Amino acid sequence: MTRRLLIVGVALALSIGVIACGSSSSDSGSGSSNSPLVGAGSTLVAPLMSKWQSDYASRSEETVTYGAIGSGGGIDQIISRSVDFGASDAPLTPEQLEEANGVEQIPWALSGTVPAYNVSGAPSNLKLDGEILSRIYLGTITQWDDPVIAQLNPGVSLPSTKITPVYRSDGSGDTYAFTNYLSTVSPEFKAQVGTSTTVKFPTGVGAEKNDGVAAAISQTDGAIGYVGLAYALSNELSMPLVENLAAKFPKPGVKSVEAAAKAVTKIGPNNEISLADLPASAKNAYPISTYTYVIVPLESEKAEALKKFITYAIGPGQEYGPDLDFAPLPKQVVAADKKAIAKIGG
Amino acid sequence: MEAGALSDPVLRVRRNLTDRIGDPLLRGLSGLAAALAVAVIAGIAYEVVHLAWPAITKFGVGFVTTNDWNPVTERYGAAPFIYGTAVTSAIALLFAAPLSIAISIYLTELAPSRVRRPVATLVDMLAAIPSVILGLWGILVLGPFMHDTIEPALNSVLGFLPIFSGDPSAFGYLTAALILTIMTTPIITSVTREVFETVPGDLKEGSYALGATRWEMIRQVVLPYSRAGIVGATILGLGRAIGEAIAVAQVIGGATGINVSLFHTGSTMAAQIAAQFQGAPGALQKPSLAYLGLILLVFAVIVNVVARLIVQRGTLKDTDMTVTEAGAL
Repeated sequence: MTRRLLIVGVALALSIGVIACGSSSSDSGSGSSNSPLVGAGSTLVAPLMSKWQSDYASRSEETVTYGAIGSGGGIDQIISRSVDFGASDAPLTPEQLEEANGVEQIPWALSGTVPAYNVSGAPSNLKLDGEILSRIYLGTITQWDDPVIAQLNPGVSLPSTKITPVYRSDGSGDTYAFTNYLSTVSPEFKAQVGTSTTVKFPTGVGAEKNDGVAAAISQTDGAIGYVGLAYALSNELSMPLVENLAAKFPKPGVKSVEAAAKAVTKIGPNNEISLADLPASAKNAYPISTYTYVIVPLESEKAEALKKFITYAIGPGQEYGPDLDFAPLPKQVVAADKKAIAKIGG
Repeated sequence: MEAGALSDPVLRVRRNLTDRIGDPLLRGLSGLAAALAVAVIAGIAYEVVHLAWPAITKFGVGFVTTNDWNPVTERYGAAPFIYGTAVTSAIALLFAAPLSIAISIYLTELAPSRVRRPVATLVDMLAAIPSVILGLWGILVLGPFMHDTIEPALNSVLGFLPIFSGDPSAFGYLTAALILTIMTTPIITSVTREVFETVPGDLKEGSYALGATRWEMIRQVVLPYSRAGIVGATILGLGRAIGEAIAVAQVIGGATGINVSLFHTGSTMAAQIAAQFQGAPGALQKPSLAYLGLILLVFAVIVNVVARLIVQRGTLKDTDMTVTEAGAL
């Protein structure tokens, strides 16, 4: 009796399985003609991307799916070709470029990395410069009332709280932008630490992702860290004003990031653009601005769809930037991007 | 009933048929399952070694003792992480083992039956908290508490010891170790509790009959009888503590050096892999992380083998003892 029930049960399960398999395979068969573009990478660009996704779908009836897994993850996935495009805040290293074997790197959004601090007894918008930031992260400035900080902030009473530098312990485009800036302004930092998505800081506390850094800052009196511009603005963290090469202290925001991008006209090999080395003439330029890139294979089945989507992103897609704390791309970058897009698909 | 069914010739034939197919089928399927498990382990070991190979050939055995992790200069070593794993796991067990034994004694011997069930369920539920949630709690609640209260107190009383020297920090070895304590306690408790429940009632009654107090009975009967089980449970907790990645990565502070002070930031093997594997840029960073994974794998195997040896030997000794004890009683 029970055995018969068992046999009926197994037969039922098997038949359901067969039906399920049948239907799923027919699904994937019919869907191949219009399969979505799949991308992954940078968390920085994710808010803008989600706006692009819905807008692009309504304009062209084509869907784009995106996984915000981090810049390094995006590079990994495009190297292994498990996605149609990758997105990264840090440009590809020469080794990665070689390993990726035929990809084009295109700057498609513009933002910044900003320091943020939590010091009870100190005002918001403290003034700092690259030299001070690099020495804080090298561990040679250890107290908030250090004479160098006091000199830059005359008339401000500073507490003697110990400085706790906070950094990203995971691979991050923000770490790249921040260490790229510090290495540019401080030869000492360049020699001791250098530029990468993960570096070895001699002192401080490591935390995971933007929210981990923000939590570590808010929980530690005397802490200073760095996060994405959009993240800092939407969470209302207190941000220092960082001195640029024009000896001015621009407010971190879309305007000052745009000014920085306009001041740099040199586009490097593989469309790599560093905004760390700004000309002294750029008075309102925010010194830690950064491009974020899309990385696409030169040859793929979806070359046409990719070209269409990236053309949209650097064109009409830029309109949504300022609301989400992204600055619009300067003209000469858009022109360079268009040339790069033309290379896709042979 | 059963005999009657078998005496029916038709049924007997059918039964014989299923017996003949059933046995080889059972052997085949279960053998396949066992082979699959072996294949998975071998496959993982192969993949890890394969991925780590560039780092193994470049750094060799010296990797284990190198105290550096610098993606810019591409010089990697496992020493900071082996140290971090050892320190955090050891402290976690130092707290969790006595705590778990105390909870288990209370739940099996002392608590009124009314509270046993709810308390036992709550302790078990501790194990169900996702580690990422525990890590967040560590950042927002435990870390600041360590920084403001516990660490200054430890420093003022025991500050002459190097391990309690230095500035308090919300992130560090000690905070991570306490998070691991919370994670391992329910595991050790649930095993020791079950072990305590298997202590034969007549041994306990015998002990009482000889005039033992409750404490004497626990010390002389329950604990010796359960020794192997307690060690096994603790090793199980150790396995959990060594392997935990996410919660530790959230609270340990990701520093890549060895620091004697327990207040200082550090990292563990599992936490380092979890934090940096995704998108490691350096040509040797990913292989080095895989090398860390290989060391972690070897650690896990050693811990497991040692645990088995201890439990095996302990069980033999304990049964000898209980037999003589039972004889004496």
